[in-house]
Amino acid sequence: MTDQINDQISAFIDNELSADESALLVRRFERDPEARARAMRYTLIGASLRGELLEPHPSVLRQRVAAALAGGPVPSVARPRERWTERFARPLLGVGIAATVAVVAIGALRSLNEASFAPGSAPALAETPLATRDSVVAPSYVVPESTGQSRAQAPIRLTNYLIRHGEFASGLTRTSVSSNVVGTVMEPLVVRDEAAAAKPVPVAEEGLE
Amino acid sequence: MRPSGSVAAPSIVLLLFFGGHAAAQEARAWLERMSRAVEELNYRGTFVHVLGGTAETLQIVHRNEDGQTGERILSLDGAGSEFVRQGDRAQAIFPDRRIVLFETRSDSSPLVSALPSNTTEFSPHYELELGESSRVAERAAQVLEIKPRDEFRYGYKLWLDQDTAMPLKSQLVGERGEVVEQIVFTEIEIPADIPASDLEPTIDTTGFTMLRAPASTPLAAEIPWRAMDTPDGFRLSVATQSSIAGSDTPVGHLVYSDGLATVSVFIEASAAQADMPDGFSTAGSTNAYSQTLGDRKVTAIGEVPRRTVRRIASSLVAE
Repeated sequence: MTDQINDQISAFIDNELSADESALLVRRFERDPEARARAMRYTLIGASLRGELLEPHPSVLRQRVAAALAGGPVPSVARPRERWTERFARPLLGVGIAATVAVVAIGALRSLNEASFAPGSAPALAETPLATRDSVVAPSYVVPESTGQSRAQAPIRLTNYLIRHGEFASGLTRTSVSSNVVGTVMEPLVVRDEAAAAKPVPVAEEGLE
Repeated sequence: MRPSGSVAAPSIVLLLFFGGHAAAQEARAWLERMSRAVEELNYRGTFVHVLGGTAETLQIVHRNEDGQTGERILSLDGAGSEFVRQGDRAQAIFPDRRIVLFETRSDSSPLVSALPSNTTEFSPHYELELGESSRVAERAAQVLEIKPRDEFRYGYKLWLDQDTAMPLKSQLVGERGEVVEQIVFTEIEIPADIPASDLEPTIDTTGFTMLRAPASTPLAAEIPWRAMDTPDGFRLSVATQSSIAGSDTPVGHLVYSDGLATVSVFIEASAAQADMPDGFSTAGSTNAYSQTLGDRKVTAIGEVPRRTVRRIASSLVAE
């Protein structure tokens, strides 16, 4: 599907398409299930991001289609400050993350990497060293853009915690039920970490058996 | 003869009790059906995942052939990454980076454990309630709500396919009723069979760099740390050392669970994490709280409200 059609669908949902263009697009919906499905997805996403209640057939899309078919005035809705598609279209693989985690966790990972931290208290505790074991160098799932120590390093550590935690979290709590369909089938993988002793091993091209 | 008040009152109480018990049983049955459906059904569809103000559209194909399961998941947005799993082998394709990552899964059927098989464990802390009927993705759906009994855990609202109990839509609900995270199928079909070819990657990976994750070695060492003030129902289920990505020494790892919600606590030398500040961090439904305890950096992380991760992390002591 071309960017032009995508833009038209987006504008249609945002009430930015002329009546003639809307009518043309609605006719396309009738013969193009992919365009129709995309319009539905865009509507759902827009509604979700605006915190609106989702319906099986979002009313916004219904109203737009009805108005376009009738050739009448298009109902207006409160315009979001930022067109939702602008956010929607952002790459979901954040800078610095080069790992496969759950597809649905990618958003979470990015958020963690952008997380802000508030200072907190740090009560003292008796010093009890962890049992020492042979050093185990774990691979890094994420690759920092720079090797210097900085605050940017911390979210990466949190991301790796999250990945490890995900192995123990129940499916439902991980990302909720449906996302579990996605979430549990993906495991963290190594990409490359120059600083780590255990590096991923390039392998010959192979497929799944 | 009209029953006397003294007889009628207990009858009503019993009726309410058993009626409520039956409803709870039915709700549990739906939950268990859902758990099986996610694993056992063949399905393909498109769903929107909204988390933390960001949305992503994903296409999924799930195939179950004689108990051997596999998925292909394609992100329809952004870089268009694709993930494919067949049995215990998985690969992720990142076309923007021209990378393919391979791994071997230790558990070939993780979705079986997507939900506790015995809901008794979390029942004291959540209320199961069947809601109204609805429609999602042009299919009739039964609403099932899992409501927490206190403010230390999230709730869930699920729209389950009437015929198969496949979750068509789910919401993770915060303590004020706000939707923290949402998944909704915009289209789904549940055919009897799905050809194996549907699990073939759609991205041409010619010329891509192929990477494989080295096998990780599980660590079974016990650690002396425990959280002394966990919210009701959160019990220690794992106390071990873990190999964490990017760390050259083992990290203490505790897992607390109420049967549904799970909180991990990571403990490692604070010197190694000097750059990590204390306090909260948030990512969608996941909250984390870090603090320095002596020479240790403690981080609690889980899909629970902030107060829960802070309470657990703050009560950690060495036994």
